[in-house]
Amino acid sequence: MKTKFIGLGILAAVILVAVAYTFINNSSKVTEISGYVGGEKIGLLEDEAVQDILRDKYKLTIDYAKAGSIDMITADAAGRNFLFPSNQTALELYKQVNGDPVKSEIVLNTPIVLYTRGAVAQAMVDNGIASASDGVYYVDMVKLTEAIESGKAWSEIGLPQLYGSITVGTTDPTKSNSGNMFAGLLANTLCGGVADENNLDEILPRLQNIFRKLGYMESSSSDLFDQFLKTGMGAKPLIAGYENQLLEFAVENPETWEQIKEDIIMLYPTPTVWSSHVFIALDEAGAAGIDALLDEDIQRIAWEKHGFRTGVYGAPADAEHFDVPGIAKEITQVAPMPDANTMDRIIKALS
Amino acid sequence: MRNQKRFAALLLMFSIVLTMFSGCGAGDRAASESDAVLGSGSSVLKIISGSENKQLETILEKFAKQEKICIEMTYQGSLDIMRMLGEEDIPYDAVWPASSLWLTVGDTERRIKHAESISISPVVFGIRKSLAEELGFVGKEVSVNDLLEAIRSDKLSFCMTSATQSNSGASAYIGFLYALLGNPEVIAAEDLQSESLKTQMKELLSGVDRSSGSSDWLKDMFLEGDYDAMVNYECLIIQANRELEARGEETLYTVYPYDGLSLADSPLGYVDKGDDKQEELFLKLQEYLLSEEAQNEIQKTGRRSGYTGVSEENKEVFRADWGLQPDRVLSPIKMPAADVLFECLDLYQTDFKKPSLTVYCLDYSGSMDGEGNKQLVRAMEQLLIQENARKNFLQASENEVNILIPFDDTIIDTFTAVGNGGELESLYNKVKNQDIGGGTNMYNAAVQGIEILEAYDLSQYTPAIILMTDGQSGGYIDDFKSAYTQLGYDVPVFSIMFGDADETQLEELAQYTNARVFDGRENLTDAFRSVKGYN
Repeated sequence: MKTKFIGLGILAAVILVAVAYTFINNSSKVTEISGYVGGEKIGLLEDEAVQDILRDKYKLTIDYAKAGSIDMITADAAGRNFLFPSNQTALELYKQVNGDPVKSEIVLNTPIVLYTRGAVAQAMVDNGIASASDGVYYVDMVKLTEAIESGKAWSEIGLPQLYGSITVGTTDPTKSNSGNMFAGLLANTLCGGVADENNLDEILPRLQNIFRKLGYMESSSSDLFDQFLKTGMGAKPLIAGYENQLLEFAVENPETWEQIKEDIIMLYPTPTVWSSHVFIALDEAGAAGIDALLDEDIQRIAWEKHGFRTGVYGAPADAEHFDVPGIAKEITQVAPMPDANTMDRIIKALS
Repeated sequence: MRNQKRFAALLLMFSIVLTMFSGCGAGDRAASESDAVLGSGSSVLKIISGSENKQLETILEKFAKQEKICIEMTYQGSLDIMRMLGEEDIPYDAVWPASSLWLTVGDTERRIKHAESISISPVVFGIRKSLAEELGFVGKEVSVNDLLEAIRSDKLSFCMTSATQSNSGASAYIGFLYALLGNPEVIAAEDLQSESLKTQMKELLSGVDRSSGSSDWLKDMFLEGDYDAMVNYECLIIQANRELEARGEETLYTVYPYDGLSLADSPLGYVDKGDDKQEELFLKLQEYLLSEEAQNEIQKTGRRSGYTGVSEENKEVFRADWGLQPDRVLSPIKMPAADVLFECLDLYQTDFKKPSLTVYCLDYSGSMDGEGNKQLVRAMEQLLIQENARKNFLQASENEVNILIPFDDTIIDTFTAVGNGGELESLYNKVKNQDIGGGTNMYNAAVQGIEILEAYDLSQYTPAIILMTDGQSGGYIDDFKSAYTQLGYDVPVFSIMFGDADETQLEELAQYTNARVFDGRENLTDAFRSVKGYN
């Protein structure tokens, strides 16, 4: 009996030493970098396959705190190695405040899209607001904006079951990146190009009017998307979001997706804008994160499991493996976002 | 010595047993403060929730038993939950208001994580079927204006929760505002200033029979009384109808006002305090609630759940003869922007809602000396001093009437204040300076309250008597009953308990007048807010 205990004790000691050794051995090699990250990329950073590659191949772990793309620029960055916002405006702002960062690069891209239901998409096509080609839906932003500004009711485009007038549900542009970018996209549409200092005064009142009609807005893109899926066509007939939201949802919830995929339609605005996920390295340790995230395998996982297109604009992507109809192979009709100062004025006007 | 040890051991054992039986124990809040304790175990999940989720207790309990954990449910109106989110300490692990609107607006510190909608239910009108038929609401699309017309012509009166405490009341009220403003695209701040809006809204809200601080309490109150209609969630109309049918009484017909509909999306969110174990437990519960099996169970309670609407199997829950439309496309109104929304709620409280006519019977008998009296004075300060009241949307309106009856075994005095100005605030001095002593007779005080109410045109007010007492009362309930019968009006007599109040006496009064008893010993402010929700 006694010897048995001694034996167990020795075994436990050996295990302890082994565990401690491996732990020390690993941690001596792996560097942890930390920074602020926009919420839509958390699924990717939490992906175990991604974490494995980071650790085994690049000896990195990435620790993060969730923050809004604009908020993180002004937040205290002490002890942080990087910022990972969801748009380039944030990089511009960073440069204005702090000068050039150690290194920065666009790591991931996803276009702003609209989501709707089958019946609404059909009505939009019938009324010339949207069109379908090769199974991919495109929305004519000029016509859509006209319909919104004129206060056209859903019933006027053949949807009497929907109450009220045509709007696009978005997140609060002063709080959330997708709403912010959709505001930029609308500003571009209203001025017929890229909104800037010269044409802004003319379009601001119109932009304010469009957003005023929305009333209360959600502050998070993922909450808005969740509500779109769950509250049905009546509550959120048409919303703005990221392309990667639906692709990620379909991969992560295959059974649910199977039940609803017939009715969910993704529409690409023409032109749209890219939500470009720029990795801003604040020091050399942070710069290692750029190389690691650009790893071929991580980029592949980012697309296949999380729906982010690669850092290279317009590169055709293989959409076959998604069980999602209507993914555009290439995003060709893209306009740049208005510059940081213009966006700043837009946000102030909408606050 | 030996005996002492044995006694100590016994005491220890006794206290262990006591802790075991007092529900979940362990945490920093006593289990007795929660409204329901489900399952048992050392791991505890504390959830603060809209009362409509009371209907899901069996589904939650199943999970608690399966995981050998304890779920403590505390019920409050969604707007009260929103206000709690603004406080420094959130003494719960999870929040579950009726609508994500209140979660987003209230969570200014961004402490809520993983919020996901569990089910959907629209806010509708449930109207006694024969009355709905008479009003021509059966089998046709009804607008808010159709409802208003019926209310204006005194053909329809209804119960609804307080718009400043509960989501269903707030939603219905916003729907009314749209209709009275001629259905603008969205309500703007400047729209609210018109005199004609004020007149019309007051007229409309004068049709409110009774109110409450949360939706399930409204349903319970409705079932206890004799009312024509209520504004509530579709799922609670279904629950009420099941009960009415079982009793062989007339059921309610569901009316979906097409230009004033709103949806409750029932988000369950985690309060992040950096405890990984609690987070894991929460996520497990959420996953369970969103599982196909639990979603199916949830649907059977009359909620719309899942991504695909009401399943074929559960269509029969949404009975056509009750006016339910499971396949209806639910197209809600837009909620105004947050700042406008709060202005709307302020106006409801101060200008629009039926003025309340409240008689406070305050116990100054000897046993209230010390802590009891201190609590009572503090509570009245929160209510009477308007700067305090405003923080909790309890501020008085310009026409409301507050009457104080301090009592022991006699009526000490009566004080009346009209409106929300100095007269009201000066009542606080009376409360503070009143001497304490003597025996207790609350029936006396309540009878006095009834007699005072007789002088008012009660249809113009939301009347209530609120007893604040600790002692076991002398006197007879029959004295009260005969005065009440003579008054012949539906006036609830609520109680807030202190010290060792005799709950049976207070319950008896509450049941007789279709009211409730609140426990002021745990959290007096909460008790007050709940009471005020009813008037």
